Amino acid sequence: MVSRLAAPQGYLSSKPESWYAKRVSERPSQASAFAARVLEQADALYNFARRLTHQASEAEDLVQDTFARAIQARDQFQEGTNLRAWLFRILRNAQLDALRRAQRSPLAKLADEEREAEDDSREFLRGDFEIDRLRRVVVADIENALASLSAEARSVILLDLEGFSELEIASIMSCAAGTVKSRLARARTTLRAKLAEYGK
Amino acid sequence: MTESSCAEHRRRLATSRWSTLPPEARAEVERHLQGCEECRAFAKAERELDAALGRLPRQAAPEALKARLAATLRAEAAPPSVSSRWAKWRDGRKLRLVSATAAVVLAGALSVVFALRPSATERLVDEAVNDHLRVLYATHPIEIESGGIHQVKPWFEGRLDFAPVLDFAGDEEFPLQGGSIGYLLDRKAAVFVFKRRLHVVTLFVFRAEGLPWPYLGNRTLDGVSARLEQSRGFNALLFRQRDLGYALVSDADANSLERLGHKIMAGH
Repeated sequence: MVSRLAAPQGYLSSKPESWYAKRVSERPSQASAFAARVLEQADALYNFARRLTHQASEAEDLVQDTFARAIQARDQFQEGTNLRAWLFRILRNAQLDALRRAQRSPLAKLADEEREAEDDSREFLRGDFEIDRLRRVVVADIENALASLSAEARSVILLDLEGFSELEIASIMSCAAGTVKSRLARARTTLRAKLAEYGK
Repeated sequence: MTESSCAEHRRRLATSRWSTLPPEARAEVERHLQGCEECRAFAKAERELDAALGRLPRQAAPEALKARLAATLRAEAAPPSVSSRWAKWRDGRKLRLVSATAAVVLAGALSVVFALRPSATERLVDEAVNDHLRVLYATHPIEIESGGIHQVKPWFEGRLDFAPVLDFAGDEEFPLQGGSIGYLLDRKAAVFVFKRRLHVVTLFVFRAEGLPWPYLGNRTLDGVSARLEQSRGFNALLFRQRDLGYALVSDADANSLERLGHKIMAGH
């Protein structure tokens, strides 16, 4: 079967029959290398998914969905670009689709949540009083405070914490870099206000 | 000090990556901080927030999940496939040959993926069917006779390390007979026994975390990813909601099982 395959004229000018055989021998190692690089991100993706969804099972589904989508869209990934940011973007889209499947417009939901976040940010606390409370919060407080944020606010804080640049976050969240900056500032202010409450 | 410049400086301060910003950007903000007490307080709080966020433990992916991901990726990597270079061929005379070969290769890849799929699924289904048989042949299959779901559910309290979520109380088509404690693989399960005419239908509710849950090839019922399988003449419907797994097993027909599954899912 393999030996009958000829390469197209002009694509490989010499030894056309060897093209497919060469491809066969190259492809698995290239695919394996890609697979290995994707798998390296499993912990980071799961950590992000777990904090986005709160539930271990939902996080597992989300990561598994992300991997399935990454495999399908593999040819769209451009070598030399940031694989990690690409995978996080896929995960975020998978989460939006999951919200959509929950039969409510994700955009409407996110807009509502953003409004809530804005309202919360008005209760911004300042000074040593806030610092003192922030120092007293424990991990459970931080997790609860994060969980109480809107999905957008939580995402932008977590992506920033992952070390992604504004441009990368903008690409992951499909928005402008300037939007990331203001969204992040607002989300962190809301988080601080909530944490200050926990640290009472 | 204008409000807009304060707002811009605060946006720069509000990031966990503050220490990685370019030195010139940081120097500019720091110059502003020297003359702005409010922004200094803001900066102090932001760095304190970084310290708090730094205390969050990172959650590693469970090993079972990693194994499933690796299996899926291996399956994808194993067969030779077609590349984007084929786009260059599209207008060529070899299109038909290439398409046919692609179909064969894709079928090969899918067969590897789907060949991997049943091991996890079969294990779950086998175990669920075994447990269903235990219910059928046990001397006392039901530990708590049903006087209604509100009697059965509280009975599980203290007997399980989770609360079985079930809002379907049974109806004329599927009357609830009662419940008991069972085991599914390595974990305890809440066992609910329903009837469908003369058929016994067993519902197992269990913690799903860490189980090799079937994923590829599932169907969606009521927005829930579900899997209908057959084993040894029994039908099994598997689905998962939040942290709990559900396995319905019976020799009743598949449509009946799906109807009961629908009623259970709709109750959530």
